[in-house]
Amino acid sequence: MQKLGELKLPHFFNYPPYFTLQPVRETREKQIQLWKELILDYCRTQKIFVVGLEEDFALFSNPAIERSLNHEARVAFLSAIVSDGRAEWMDKGHRRCLILWHRIQDWADIILRFVKDNGLEDSVMTVEEIRSGIESRGTDIHGMDRTVLMRALKLLENKGKLAIFKGTSTDDEGVKFSV
Amino acid sequence: MRRRAGIGGLQNAAAARDQYRLLGENVARLRTDLMKEQLSTFRSQLEDFARKHKNDIRKNPAFRSQFHEMCAKVGVDPLASNKGFWAELLGIGDFYYELGVQIVDVCLATRPHNGGLINLEELCKLLSQRRKGAREVVSEDDCLRAIGKLKVLGSGFEVITVGKRKLVRSVPTELKKDHNEILELSQAQGFVTGEEVERRLSWSTGRATDALETLLDEGLAMIDEGHRDGKRRYWFPCVSSVSSFVASETI
Repeated sequence: MQKLGELKLPHFFNYPPYFTLQPVRETREKQIQLWKELILDYCRTQKIFVVGLEEDFALFSNPAIERSLNHEARVAFLSAIVSDGRAEWMDKGHRRCLILWHRIQDWADIILRFVKDNGLEDSVMTVEEIRSGIESRGTDIHGMDRTVLMRALKLLENKGKLAIFKGTSTDDEGVKFSV
Repeated sequence: MRRRAGIGGLQNAAAARDQYRLLGENVARLRTDLMKEQLSTFRSQLEDFARKHKNDIRKNPAFRSQFHEMCAKVGVDPLASNKGFWAELLGIGDFYYELGVQIVDVCLATRPHNGGLINLEELCKLLSQRRKGAREVVSEDDCLRAIGKLKVLGSGFEVITVGKRKLVRSVPTELKKDHNEILELSQAQGFVTGEEVERRLSWSTGRATDALETLLDEGLAMIDEGHRDGKRRYWFPCVSSVSSFVASETI
């Protein structure tokens, strides 16, 4: 089976008609379902957070069968993911899409677990340390998108699990956990 | 017999006729009895055979198929009822029942992709994947028998032949002759273009378009407009071996 990065590509990716938005409703629904899952899986394994509709995104074309998704199809599939609450449009023109292969709430849970697993209940860390420190290695948090991280942290702040504060330098914000 | 004249002679003739008739009946009965006995002997020999080779029948699809043929010759249908001697002896009534249920599941799972038409080879492949842990291997013959049973239950399942392939239909949509011809044409490359249909089958544009659009609406075809020649292609999942990917993700 073909692979893209770590992900084994499903067979439909090699079947040309799947690159054309289908006119018949039932067929289109199945098509959208398959593409949604593939896009989310791929973004998760490659840790991709932003998909630009006019940019090079590996899944948008398959050179092996000489097919590419046209703009309409790209919008259709990503809109479906947005409707599911697993993505957000970053601009009104729907050119860039933030992919939440973990929902913000899920990220918050992951961060909480991370804090407990590493005994960080009462400690202080910078935001940058959270996403690139040694402790985060091997977890989904490592290298995660900063905007998404901030949103998850804000969610936890609202629940009283931590406090965000500005650091001494202009460099980075800090987080005091009180889990 | 000596011919005698008069009443006595007539009575003798009548008695002789009666005797011949009785003899005739006896012979007939004897023949039937003999046949019955032979059949009964054969049947019990078949039962012995089944008992001895129970495992082989279960495990070996080719053997199983030949066993069925033998049974058919003697007028025995091991699948006739779920209860009864044969089902109990071989437990194969359950096997086909179970298989039938799995076939229904596979057809339902692949229906959004292929419109309710799946080729037999593909069906068997999917079933084998599904049954990875099972002792019994499934052959195309097994599938056909199970589908035969499904048909009897009035489930709308049918096996149709298109060109070289057997397709299993699980939706009420009847394929018209025009549709069949397009399917057959598509077997070469997995797709057709409108132009190709017109040319190869000598149809008008209208006729070709009607048939193709119907197949599309029924979910049996998918369109592809991505080729660099700009021609619209109609792909038929049921003739390619692509059905498998869809189902293997859901099964």
